[in-house]
Amino acid sequence: MAILEELREKILLFDGGTGSLLQEAGLKPGELPETWNISHPDIVVKLHSDYLEAGCDIIKTNTFGANRFKYNSGTQYSLKEIVTAAMDNAKCAVKKAGRGYIALDIGPTGKLLKPMGQLDFEEAVSVFREVAETGAEQGADLILIETMSDTYELKAAVLAAKEISSLPVFATVIFDEKGKMLTGGTPQTAIALLEGLGVDAVGMNCGLGPVQMKPLAAEFIKYASVPVIVNPNAGLPRSEGGRTVYDIGPDEFEQAMEEILDMGISVAGGCCGTTPGHIRRLNRLRAGRRQKLPQEKQSTVITSYAAAVEIGDDPVIIGERINPTGKSKFKQALRDHDLEFILREGISQQERGAHVLDVNVGLPEIDEPSMMAEVIRELQGITELPLQIDTSNTEAMARAMRVYNGKPLLNSVNGKQEVMDAVFPLVKRYGAVVVALTLDESGIPETADGRIAIAEKIYREAAKYGIGKKDILIDALCMTISSDRLGALTTLETVKRVRQEMGGRTILGVSNISFGLPVRENINANFFTLALYNGLNAAIINPGSEAMMCSYHSFRALAALDENCGSYIEAYKNAAASSAAGSGSPAPGTSGNRLGSDTAGRKAEAAPGSGNGRGNNPAWDGEEERLALSVEKGLREQAAQSAKQLLAEKEPLDVINTCMIPALDHVGKGFEAGTVFLPQLLMSAEAAKAAFDVIKEKMAESGQAREKKGKIILATVKGDIHDIGKNIVRVLLENYSYDVLDLGKDVAPEQIVREAVKQHVPLVGLSALMTTTVPAMKETIQRLRQEAPWTKIMVGGAVLTPEYAKTIGADTYCSDAMASVSYAQKIIA
Amino acid sequence: MEDSIKSEVNRREVYRYLGLGRHEPDERTALLVEESLVELENAAAPRFFSRSYPLSVLPDGKLDLTCFRVESRDLSRNLKDCEEVILFAATLGTGPDLLVRRYSRLEMSRAVVVQAAAAAMIEAWCDRKNGELKEEALRQGKYLRPRFSPGYGDFSLDCQKDIIRALEAEKTVGVTLTDSLLMTPSKSVTAVIGAGRNEFRCELKGCEVCGKTDCLYRRG
Repeated sequence: MAILEELREKILLFDGGTGSLLQEAGLKPGELPETWNISHPDIVVKLHSDYLEAGCDIIKTNTFGANRFKYNSGTQYSLKEIVTAAMDNAKCAVKKAGRGYIALDIGPTGKLLKPMGQLDFEEAVSVFREVAETGAEQGADLILIETMSDTYELKAAVLAAKEISSLPVFATVIFDEKGKMLTGGTPQTAIALLEGLGVDAVGMNCGLGPVQMKPLAAEFIKYASVPVIVNPNAGLPRSEGGRTVYDIGPDEFEQAMEEILDMGISVAGGCCGTTPGHIRRLNRLRAGRRQKLPQEKQSTVITSYAAAVEIGDDPVIIGERINPTGKSKFKQALRDHDLEFILREGISQQERGAHVLDVNVGLPEIDEPSMMAEVIRELQGITELPLQIDTSNTEAMARAMRVYNGKPLLNSVNGKQEVMDAVFPLVKRYGAVVVALTLDESGIPETADGRIAIAEKIYREAAKYGIGKKDILIDALCMTISSDRLGALTTLETVKRVRQEMGGRTILGVSNISFGLPVRENINANFFTLALYNGLNAAIINPGSEAMMCSYHSFRALAALDENCGSYIEAYKNAAASSAAGSGSPAPGTSGNRLGSDTAGRKAEAAPGSGNGRGNNPAWDGEEERLALSVEKGLREQAAQSAKQLLAEKEPLDVINTCMIPALDHVGKGFEAGTVFLPQLLMSAEAAKAAFDVIKEKMAESGQAREKKGKIILATVKGDIHDIGKNIVRVLLENYSYDVLDLGKDVAPEQIVREAVKQHVPLVGLSALMTTTVPAMKETIQRLRQEAPWTKIMVGGAVLTPEYAKTIGADTYCSDAMASVSYAQKIIA
Repeated sequence: MEDSIKSEVNRREVYRYLGLGRHEPDERTALLVEESLVELENAAAPRFFSRSYPLSVLPDGKLDLTCFRVESRDLSRNLKDCEEVILFAATLGTGPDLLVRRYSRLEMSRAVVVQAAAAAMIEAWCDRKNGELKEEALRQGKYLRPRFSPGYGDFSLDCQKDIIRALEAEKTVGVTLTDSLLMTPSKSVTAVIGAGRNEFRCELKGCEVCGKTDCLYRRG
């Protein structure tokens, strides 16, 4: 019988620990356990046999650490030899016992994925694929992915397993005592990701003993629709005379596991420290128990690497601002590949209360699939919010969903057959929740009946792919009431009927309703409240709009979704205070936008007044001094405002030369003299940038551009992933109007050389933090000398000294960021 | 839940990492430090793991820590008269790295402050756990030496591999090494702590025990 069928019939048992038993059999510290498949096959076979004899149904191959980083053409045994031998040993034991399934065991790579570490996502996929391929060829009955602490690595492993075979895939993750994965994930986030990717059973292993796993097992039962696996350690480890021992013997294990099995666990076994003795007890426990498979759960969940957002009765705010439509600045940012602009939009919506960020980067003249994948990668590196991938380009969909770290929300599919044929396979493959627009080949129906009919058609078609209702959000579409007087009513009726008659979930892009009308916010906010009242589950809106957020907070309080009106009070307590004080200033409904605000870390700062005697240029008039002082004091909003005022009467270049540059120089000198320190230097730089942005805009209006002084390449060398120093240098150089090409961190010498040659740059700046990465810096310098002899090279980093810099061949050592500016000024006049 | 670490963070260390030396921070920098500590406390997921091993000195002078052997004059001096070593790994998790990454893109002044505050916070976390180990050792009549990390003096950075492996750090605290021996998450510490029967008076730790006196970040 195949394992999945048997799983429906009875509780299945995994075996217990492998490594701990091999150590008892003589595996030395530092010796790789997988080599014993070849050097001590008899012991490995006996280990499997003992477990089968104890009553387990599934044995894990001795391949936990088998991957190309540990076994390759340069090691004693190749990866293929190790995995094949492990499979042979398992097959031998199964043959002897006359029963048993073989799980090809896949553990983590031992390397953290980008951006936290160095391993590229696609490389991780290929590392896992290699192991899975051999295991599948050799006849594994299933693939077990275990002890995963990072959702991204987990996703890579599952994709690999799914892409090479149709074998069942089980996956278990490791939690700490607080019930969190390393990257912050919880049982709910792991389940959403894994079920989305089509894993056949989910659960946890290692890290904790059965007692600590109990509350987590309850979480798994609560959220999982597929069978749940629990493979605990034999309690918590402690060291005794240099040996690791676990504190739970078979008796206690049995006791704790009995309760866990009663919760409705479908697969049980053990991890570190558990022995055939432990498994024998499990076998006794399951003898009198029937398999209790979990119920299919109906909640709609999307996740990031750490956070799960449930789209249900409590409405969800999806920030709409990452979208170029109608935004010339955003379009320009896309053309200029200015990712900071886009990231800033993301974080500022997060600070204003968005639960999810919509990401739309479609522009005819850019390569949308590449840009989409890049923006998704960048955003998920800096925010924990789940993302909505918003595109009609199927290649962009596929690439973005693939690199996405979690269960994504995809926007969108619709009722057109051709679109469904293209989109649903992708939704299935990458396990997304998808937005379904109620339109089809004949357009957008005018009536709710028509839109409901399309929703039905979409549900039906999705079901063919095994995509359930819970993974579809119906978008009833808003037609502006300025051209269709019944527009709002039709939409509201559709929303209500999808919820009530079809038991579906709904989403709306709310703002379109007011197109063509004055003070659109009035209409939008009121329509939003009506839509929420009719059952809207998720709204794509601008969380920066106070009126919209007011609708949201008020609705939740009115609809009994806000316990004790706690969130409402939290959002408006300051407003109450300020109106009581009679200030009359409207307070934001949510925490204000902190990024780029002068109140961030700046509450103690009084606005710079003129004539306080600190001005360093007597020729400045009031506003010039104000701008200069704002820059020096690092007041961004103030600097931008002053720049705007000055530009009303002065030429941009005058403002730069008579005001900005002297102010920056003044701060730079202070830094060199030790009276201004790094945080202040950078706050100044940021204020200057805010002013420069205003100036740049003004210049662009008259077709001018701020002249760049010359191109400088910056890179943190190969092997090094600490790049904060390099980033500081970039910020300062940019302010001095150098054109900085930042190649990032962990950059191979050949890439730096290639860019230096291609761009013919006069100056390259390299950083390295560790003694272990200085050799890579040296190599980069040598290659630059050969292939780009015109280039000057400046270096910096914690372990470097002027002498050290000289011995590795650099032109100069920069002890801090201002030193790089000075050197750049010397080299590029 | 562990108690707040924020209050235990040595502000002077944060300022030192920011290059202030002994200068007092201006009000805004001080405020930025406090804001960063609040944000870090929410983002951090501190983890800790240790195991103890018998220690002996081999005839050739190498130290045998049971799970690995190492030759290091400085470490030998640190572990003099000890019969046991505790291997130690602590981390703040991936959250602080995300914050540094975020602000490096959007607000560099905050990024450097978060970075410095996180560096001081991992020290505070280590100090707390080190203190607990010390008390526990005292109850058994043992005295602990100051913790000593690979890279201090001539204690080779290569030993990171041995410590990480012995502690199964990937599973126990989620710490892994890159090929160039950088730890990920970056706000992580590994160390060796000697335990002996003799009382140990010198309470030096961190910079002061390190022989690398020309280090840029040495405590002044």
